[in-house]
Amino acid sequence: MNKFGRFINPIERLGMKKYSIIFPLLVNLAVVALSEFFAYNVVKNPDVVGVYIIFINVALIMYFSFRDGIRGGFIASAVSLLYYFYIIYTRHYGGSQLTSVIQTTLMLGALYFFLASIIGWLKQTIDTLIDSEADERRRLQAIVQQLPVGVLVADKNGKILQANKQVETLLGRKMRESLISGKDTVSNTLENKSVNLTQWPINHTLSTGKPVVGKNYTIERDDKKKVYLQISATPIHNKEGKVIAAASIINDITAQREMEDRKDDFVNMASHELKTPITSMKLYIDSLINRIKQTKDEKALKTLTSIKYQTERLQELVSDLLDVSRLQTGKLSFNKEKFQIDELIEETIEGLQGSTTQHAIKFSKKSPVTVFADKFRVYQVLTNLITNAIKYSPDASEINVAVKKDGQKAIVSVKDSGIGIDKDQQRKIFDRLYQVTDSKEKTFPGLGMGLYISKEIIKRHKGTIWTESIKGKGSTFFFSLPSLKK
Amino acid sequence: MSNKILVVDDDQSILEAISLILEEEEYIVQTTTKGEEVYTKLHTFKPDLILLDVLMSGKDGREICKKIKSDEKTKSIPIIMISAHPSAEKSIKECGAEDFLAKPFETKDLLQKISQFIS
Repeated sequence: MNKFGRFINPIERLGMKKYSIIFPLLVNLAVVALSEFFAYNVVKNPDVVGVYIIFINVALIMYFSFRDGIRGGFIASAVSLLYYFYIIYTRHYGGSQLTSVIQTTLMLGALYFFLASIIGWLKQTIDTLIDSEADERRRLQAIVQQLPVGVLVADKNGKILQANKQVETLLGRKMRESLISGKDTVSNTLENKSVNLTQWPINHTLSTGKPVVGKNYTIERDDKKKVYLQISATPIHNKEGKVIAAASIINDITAQREMEDRKDDFVNMASHELKTPITSMKLYIDSLINRIKQTKDEKALKTLTSIKYQTERLQELVSDLLDVSRLQTGKLSFNKEKFQIDELIEETIEGLQGSTTQHAIKFSKKSPVTVFADKFRVYQVLTNLITNAIKYSPDASEINVAVKKDGQKAIVSVKDSGIGIDKDQQRKIFDRLYQVTDSKEKTFPGLGMGLYISKEIIKRHKGTIWTESIKGKGSTFFFSLPSLKK
Repeated sequence: MSNKILVVDDDQSILEAISLILEEEEYIVQTTTKGEEVYTKLHTFKPDLILLDVLMSGKDGREICKKIKSDEKTKSIPIIMISAHPSAEKSIKECGAEDFLAKPFETKDLLQKISQFIS
């Protein structure tokens, strides 16, 4: 529609809150002038024109109230009425019947103004509605454009309804161009990208109606830059609950991923750098212990044994720190295998019994229980729980370990009669770097990483870890692992 | 005749410490920090066993292992790989090494593993 069309077609002007006074006034005056010219100069009988002019005026009033609202309709009505007054007064009744003239005009006037009000009000209401909707859309648009994430909305045929600048930045220039052309669908847009399109969240949501939460993708953009994206999609329903469109959020996690990679590299390097000197220290100490043993110098042997013990503590700390670090980046790997957990418990106890002369670590073995887990990591959990039991029961003489089968699970328990744990601390002890403090303000050595590592290891085996404890009476720690039928 | 062991690691202190321990057990030990030297040592020293670090700066120990294992003349020499990464075990099995030892290891574990292959 050209400019002239947009100016005179009232439908085109819906939503446009521009109500003119001059235009209706000029058109109406022009029609009056034309009518007068026609009456006197063309038909040369002014009396016959009056009837037709009523139709023309009603049409004009309707037109202008629809084009310029109540204001336009009132102007058209006023001009018409003045004209009628003039016609009736001068041509039909004459000066002697002024009252009748006014009455007739007023009756018509009431009708005209009523008509103009109704149509004008309707027009203005529609305008306000359209306008507020447009405002709403603009507001939403402003928000969407400013979001740090990419927002993509597509209808059920995959046609893109809306996409913000970030989508274009994230996916590259081609996407932007195809968006401007307005013909593109979600599938086409992502052609030549290393993404399986049927798996693309927005497509998945459109076809299944189910939301997709935070899936990770690596794509290569037009500029060959590799980007890591985290994409979610949610369906948009109509009133009847049918999926009509889907909205997708695209989050650039490249920086985060690169940071994680760097952290991982650092942990690996630190791991190597810290473990190497500890390894040679231990070898030197062992060599020295062998020599000292031959000299029978008891004092030197005792000192060296202490050095060895402290080196081992340092080694454990380093290894715990690295485990915590790996757990946080999700880089701790598990080599799961089938094994009998009762045998592992026996081996672990055998190794740990030597570290305490005060406690007897007892294991009541019943039937063999097979689990599918990472043997070394389960050994780590067992060692941690038993070492804790020793550490936190300084006055006790016994620690009891047991394993039982409970449906599809193997449940291991480690029971001590030590200091126990307050109810409000029982959940917190599995948090990272949390440590139990005794009311007697006795402190226990350690960094508080053991139970956190244990919890994470068990969690990654789809098992659970928990404690039952009474302050002052002792604690029992349990963990479960998925068990296998033999 | 004593058994000969070649130890390869990029850290001098590890080499010294391992040599000390092994020599006490009356093994004949030679060490090197350079990956390229391994092949010459194979011919000049003729080791009965090789202790090989996985991540040597410069050359990946796994590559050296693969090369030794792909040569008919040297593939019968047992190789025990050493690494600070417990997760490296999987990739080590793939390159043909006989055994794996994670750093830091116990002296007795080292000696026990060696005695499995040579007596």
